[in-house]
Amino acid sequence: MKKIKLENELFDRVEKFAEIAGYSSVEEFVTHMLEKELSSIDESESEEEVKRRLQGLGYLS
Amino acid sequence: MAEDPIIIVSGLPRSGTSMMMKMLEAGGLDILTDNIRTADEDNPKGYYEFEKAKELDKDRSWLDQAKGKVVKIISALLSKIPQENSCKIIFMRRKMSEILASQKEMLIRRGEPTDTVSDEKISQNFFAHLRKVEVWLEQQPNFDILYINYNDVLKNPLANIERIRGFLGNGLDTKSMSGVVDKALYRQRK
Repeated sequence: MKKIKLENELFDRVEKFAEIAGYSSVEEFVTHMLEKELSSIDESESEEEVKRRLQGLGYLS
Repeated sequence: MAEDPIIIVSGLPRSGTSMMMKMLEAGGLDILTDNIRTADEDNPKGYYEFEKAKELDKDRSWLDQAKGKVVKIISALLSKIPQENSCKIIFMRRKMSEILASQKEMLIRRGEPTDTVSDEKISQNFFAHLRKVEVWLEQQPNFDILYINYNDVLKNPLANIERIRGFLGNGLDTKSMSGVVDKALYRQRK
């Protein structure tokens, strides 16, 4: 298991939101947020690759 | 009186959309095409495209002239059709390996790079794209959808033509449609 460091102020905010959102721990909250964000980046890259392929084929202007 | 729906042939590029356009034309339907993209080695019988359909995100003014006609719109642009338009969509499916092989040949002929994304990655991307489009289509009250498999059309043309006739209504010249299923076009076996 790797560890990362956060500024104290950010950690306090994360801890607060994790509690409000009903997460069992800060780790659970941060893990969920990171996975959600990465999934969104993956999806956006995937759509961009599809768009580039369609443009290359002349089906999108 | 209800307006005539726009009949759309959709799917991924190289999934058999041009063959379906030709079948519907042979069946007696009016086709909306500008013939700007003419027949070539990739589509020896023509593309049946309408250039403005490629700019649906910018210009939708032409949709009125598509009512009662058949127009080809790739899957990536279906979501740009405003909801007030009633559409009957024939959505083409084909083996992904054949789609990719055919696209690759077309990219080469167009002088476009073919190695920017691996087949595996673009295949995953296309599957994700199709899933997203299919889920979206199910939620559109103004769209009727018929999924047609290109590979199956080649194997069982009459059964598929009957499905199309049932979807679009009587009056199609099914004999002429079956004549279009030209197995010579089936070059991308893999």
